[in-house]
Amino acid sequence: MITHDTILGVSTILYLALFFLYILYFTAGKKGILRIAWYGLLATFTMQAAGIGLRWAESYQLGMGHAPLSNYYESLIFFSWTISLIMIVMRKRLYPVITFSGATASLALMAYASLSPGVERGIQPLIPALQSNWLHVHVITCFLAYAAFLVSFTCGGLYFFESRGNVPTGRTLEDINYRSIIIGFSMLTSGILTGAVWAHYAWGSYWSWDPKETWSLITWIVYALILHLRFAGGWRGRRTALLSIVGFACVVMTYFGVNFFLAGLHSYAT
Amino acid sequence: MTATKSNSGTETPPASRAASLSRSLASVRLGIVVLSLIAATSILGSVIKQGGTEEEYLSLYSEKAYHFIKLFGFDDAYHSPWFYFLLALFALNLIACTVRRIRGLTGERGPGAKNAPDVKALAAAGSGFSAPVDTLGEISRRLSASSYKRKQLSERTTLYEKGSLARYGVLVIHASVLIVLLGGLIGLVAGDRGFLVLRVGETAEAAVSRERARLPVPLGFTVRCKDFNVTFYPGGQPKEYASDIEILDGAGKVLKEGRIKVNEPLSYNGVRLYQSSYGTSNSYTFRVDGREVVLAEQEVAKAGRTAFMVVRYAPQVHDFGPGVMVAYMDGEEPKTLWLLKDVERMRTRVIQGSRISLEGITSGYYTGLEMSRDPGVPVVLAGFGLMLAGLYINFFTFHRRIYVASDGAGIHVAGMASRNREGFLEELGRLSKDLV
Ligand code: HEM
Repeated sequence: MITHDTILGVSTILYLALFFLYILYFTAGKKGILRIAWYGLLATFTMQAAGIGLRWAESYQLGMGHAPLSNYYESLIFFSWTISLIMIVMRKRLYPVITFSGATASLALMAYASLSPGVERGIQPLIPALQSNWLHVHVITCFLAYAAFLVSFTCGGLYFFESRGNVPTGRTLEDINYRSIIIGFSMLTSGILTGAVWAHYAWGSYWSWDPKETWSLITWIVYALILHLRFAGGWRGRRTALLSIVGFACVVMTYFGVNFFLAGLHSYAT
Repeated sequence: MTATKSNSGTETPPASRAASLSRSLASVRLGIVVLSLIAATSILGSVIKQGGTEEEYLSLYSEKAYHFIKLFGFDDAYHSPWFYFLLALFALNLIACTVRRIRGLTGERGPGAKNAPDVKALAAAGSGFSAPVDTLGEISRRLSASSYKRKQLSERTTLYEKGSLARYGVLVIHASVLIVLLGGLIGLVAGDRGFLVLRVGETAEAAVSRERARLPVPLGFTVRCKDFNVTFYPGGQPKEYASDIEILDGAGKVLKEGRIKVNEPLSYNGVRLYQSSYGTSNSYTFRVDGREVVLAEQEVAKAGRTAFMVVRYAPQVHDFGPGVMVAYMDGEEPKTLWLLKDVERMRTRVIQGSRISLEGITSGYYTGLEMSRDPGVPVVLAGFGLMLAGLYINFFTFHRRIYVASDGAGIHVAGMASRNREGFLEELGRLSKDLV
């Protein structure tokens, strides 16, 4: 009997293979490898989707059926999957280095999820507060935002490298960065708003300054600042690149940091 | 003397000083500074403990740090006067900025300008192409098919336009931010919050405020808990809990009834009741001079000339089984004694001439409800909807203009797009290729 664990394990190995495929491409420079990597990414993405779907089905067999978006382990897997989704959606605009960084991040998340002793991997019953359709929209939009911001972060980081070989030019990075911030900002806004609506139904208050809420607001403000500095302050180049790195640091704080450093309503996520 | 001095030519006249003030109030730079400060405050608020007691702070921080925290209100950063000041300044800034933008949109410099650009030069510069005269009909047909609106600018120039709504996206986003803030303000001024705890069968007319004063918050009606149910997962964790609630008027008439679950509140007359927690508590059945009285812990009942109350429950009093400690007043003096349910001699006691006996102890559920009255919620939700619409319009649609001009020799096609220039040029490229 194949369980979701097996399938997710296989997709982790596929991410690892993808990682080495890109390394091979960067050293050998053969265009054909990129084609294989593209189909590899599609296959990994599909495999991982199947794993998530199977976990969903298994939760029903255990009598606590719920979408696998409800604990820390499930969110790590889903985050890894949304990164690949964003890579596929934005493929026309991306470059091998960026896809490579996405695959690496997905691999790291999968490895952390399946190896860390601190992560509870079993299917757990859903506490009543999480039994809401708003949960699904909220989690999906938030992780799409995080994945888009990962692209923005990669562009920001690459900006500080000399554009040569596999590193795109500054202008190109600038352009991809802006596009990913647009997607990320729209998704983060949707995520925060659906979260607020859900809190309104679950706790009777749409905003309660709990640390996770607060940090998502801080992240949102940082990206709003980037958009405005770009538009009205004419900020380009190193300064926006630096800000996209700061923005992603806020994302990391919102997703990981808050669980470890600050307590609050969302602390069931650990 | 000073008056004449200040009236000399170098000083800015008051009218233009007001204009310059309003310009700085509308400046994006101010917006950026204020937003950064709001973010910085939020960071502080998430790191420093909020709403704790003095002892809690002193166990976490030094005395000096505590005074500093108190002085600047960092112990309640999101409700401190200067945070409100920042929010107000932010709102003013956004209003000023939006007003200026609306002026720009409707003014003559706005994108509504009717003057066609030099189409031929634009086309030559790479934003378009030139084609033979006989393709004019085909271009018009194709552009109308992709839902471009046609506008005859002059005898020789036609404008095809699409997505002109995109210009208003930013306006909608900014307005929506203001609407959300307004909704928050309404909730702050006119809202109320509290919680109430009801055992099955009990009623309440008011909730209790969570603030330290624990003042009662009147509901405006009576709420009764008819029933409470909880189901569990096989592992023992609660799966679902729900209270069956009745809303009653002063005369006891049922106005509304319904079931409250987590994530499914009940609303009546602007008051929302939320399932928040539950637990079990005991109720104690006494016989007082032949009359039956049911009491919860800390509840008071009359017994003859005195009043008594249950202050403590013990499941096992020495070896004698369950018992309750009852308190009463003997003149000016408070006294307590134990009643033991399973010991014949200790079940009945005489307090100030009244015979009181403990007949039964039953355990039952109580439900914890959260109450909120927030007239700002519809406003906030409207703001949310508008914000998403605005983001979509601004980021994912764009304003495209294609000018088609003919001179005797041929036609020139050139276009402009408010964003996604490459995508638009590809679109023009396809049009050009199809015509040749
Ligand atoms: C949290 C608050 C705010 C949000 C969410 C917000 C959102 C946005 C967004 C999404 C854009 C479009 C950016 C783009 O297309 O790349 C924008 C543009 C702009 N914003 Fe804001 N904004 C906020 C506050 C402000 C404030 C306080 C000001 C000014 C005082 C301001 C002034 C502007 C200006 C001037 C533009 C460019 C408008 C144009 O396209 O001509 N914004 N804003």
